[in-house]
Amino acid sequence: MRAIVSIATTTVGEAIRRRVLLIILLIGVLFLAVAPGLGVLSARSETTVLRGMMLGVIQLTSAVIAIVLTVYMLPNEIERRTIYTILSKPVMRWQFLIGKYLGSILALGLMMLLMTAVMVFFFWWQQNRDFSAVPDLLKAPVMYFIQMSLLAAVAVFFSTFVAPLVNFFLSGGLYLLGSLFNPFFQTLQESQQTPPVAKAFAWVINTALPNFANYNIQNPIINPGQTIANEGAYYFQVTVYGVLYIGILLVAGIWVFDRREV
Amino acid sequence: MNMKNNTSALKPILIGVAAACFAGQAFLQSQFIFPKWKQDFSPGRGKMVANGLSPDQMLFALTGFREMVAGILWVRADSFFDSGNYDAILPIIRLVTILDPRQIDVYATGMWHIGYNFTDEEQRSDRRYIPSALALGKEGCRSNPETYEMFFETGWMWYHKIDDDYSNAVKWFEEAQKRPDMLPARKNLLSNAYERNGQVDKSLDTLFSLYDSARKTFGEDKSVFGNRQNRDTLERKLDTTLVRMGQRGWFASKEGRPLTGYDVNPPFDVNFSCKVSVVDRRVLKFEGTWGVKPVGTRIRAVLKDADYPNAEPAGMLWDSSNDVNLDPPRDKTFMQEQLFVKNTRFNKKVDMSKDPTMYPFSGDKYVLELYYNARSAPPHIQDKFGWNGEGMTDKNWLNTEIRPGQRVIYATLPITKDMILRRGEWRDKVPVVKTSNFKEDTSKSYNSGDSFVIDLPALRSDDRKQ
Repeated sequence: MRAIVSIATTTVGEAIRRRVLLIILLIGVLFLAVAPGLGVLSARSETTVLRGMMLGVIQLTSAVIAIVLTVYMLPNEIERRTIYTILSKPVMRWQFLIGKYLGSILALGLMMLLMTAVMVFFFWWQQNRDFSAVPDLLKAPVMYFIQMSLLAAVAVFFSTFVAPLVNFFLSGGLYLLGSLFNPFFQTLQESQQTPPVAKAFAWVINTALPNFANYNIQNPIINPGQTIANEGAYYFQVTVYGVLYIGILLVAGIWVFDRREV
Repeated sequence: MNMKNNTSALKPILIGVAAACFAGQAFLQSQFIFPKWKQDFSPGRGKMVANGLSPDQMLFALTGFREMVAGILWVRADSFFDSGNYDAILPIIRLVTILDPRQIDVYATGMWHIGYNFTDEEQRSDRRYIPSALALGKEGCRSNPETYEMFFETGWMWYHKIDDDYSNAVKWFEEAQKRPDMLPARKNLLSNAYERNGQVDKSLDTLFSLYDSARKTFGEDKSVFGNRQNRDTLERKLDTTLVRMGQRGWFASKEGRPLTGYDVNPPFDVNFSCKVSVVDRRVLKFEGTWGVKPVGTRIRAVLKDADYPNAEPAGMLWDSSNDVNLDPPRDKTFMQEQLFVKNTRFNKKVDMSKDPTMYPFSGDKYVLELYYNARSAPPHIQDKFGWNGEGMTDKNWLNTEIRPGQRVIYATLPITKDMILRRGEWRDKVPVVKTSNFKEDTSKSYNSGDSFVIDLPALRSDDRKQ
């Protein structure tokens, strides 16, 4: 356990020192800061636009950070040969992988926390210092954090056997696919013209692939007024879903990494 | 350098853990998460793929920028409204409603735009679009079920634009009424819809209930002008309805008393006849008689393909579409016009020559329909004809079948493409189709240009000399 914690701590330190991540974070924060002024461009209510825009910025920035942070993690260790000094100590490969993963999501969490704080500040300020709508708004970043942890697990898994550039597009592609598949599956399911075979195939894909759209819960937050029954139960279920899927990916990653020559 | 740690002993455990995690996530996803997500969190409620959004539009639809982009697009649409470029607005409306299905203004404006704004040179609406407008309204209701607005707008389309099938107006207004945010003044329209639908008792009940509520609201705050106005409006409407119910023999009829002496008895023969001449290519002239002297009668004239899809007598199945199809049947023709009656005759030229896309005349056979229902008539005409046409008759064209529960006037005249386009044997002679009872009127007053002088007798007088 101590090995995992120390690898995770080192990974957080590395992540915070990486300039590229800081630049992405800075851009995200800048967008959050200017978001209150952009509502005037739109015919929609300023609060609606502000909520949508801020949550969109956090989600998009976090996704880029999650991928950039994790795709280079293992390959860099191997390329710089620093992995030898670690694995020559009494550290198992699975401990190394899990430590790296936990470190990266911890670093990601810190960056998301910063962006969320900026969002809350500007939202509170735009709402005439009214804090009442903020707790509702905070649900989305929490769900996005689980979403990004899942994305990081995908990237960590791929990083055990593919090059960083390929991993970037693979993880990014899977994120897009996983975000699009729920609405796509919904359309197929509701269409009477879709043959049953296609529906069954879509069901298999929708059940097997990591489903990132489950965490896109921003619609009722952006457009309040909708009554959602058992909202807490849903958040609990998607959290468990995320943990289970992360478990699958890490186990698969450990399996591949363990068989790999470094 | 091989620095592999030996985890082969853990292999069965790892496989077991992974399999258990996979089964668990699959169960959660299919049984709990997806159904709940679909119900409460889906951004486009299943419309994004079905309606052919391109991948980049879909991406926008899935990020938090949807509302922003939709709002900017809607601002852009406004400039198209200003320049009259109505065709360009349609795809924007579709895109905005998909991106931001909670933007009720776009649904309401889009529905009105599709239903009302596509007109020919003579300001006749292109009614082929109405099923799409209604489909957009229904979609707006599904996307915004917690507010009354789209239910009201959809009901209004039935009430005002279609102006024939009031049962659907009632259905949507009732749905609107169930929503707590419905404006008090708008609630009054439900009683009008009941009345037009022939449910006079229900109309009266609704008025009483609204009046009680308005009186209570006024009692709570007398300083608000709107409260007083609403109460007074309802009081007047209630009085008028009660008078009309008495005058039109509604109570007598309910009590089984003879209707002798009531305005609706005996039924008045409207003496309808019609002649349609093709005076030029794609130009029809409607002439005919309607033996009712007071102004206010408008006879509906419809010209449509004999095989028009989902056709109904003097209309179509307006509610036939659940998909917002912005491309109506462009190879079909559906023209609808109102023929205004004055001095017991009507005479109107309908020029379809300037709008070939709206009136393509691509089929060979067409049907002309002339239709009148008392439910859409103004109150002073209804005073004689009753709510369902019980005070109206016609020895040739009374129809009690096409609109169950109503007595309407309905005549059909077949016409061909060759006749409308004045080609073939009709190149040099004027095609004419007419009802069997049509007689030419050669009276000077009618043809000399004096017809703008309108006689205004009362239908209630027993003097029915024409």
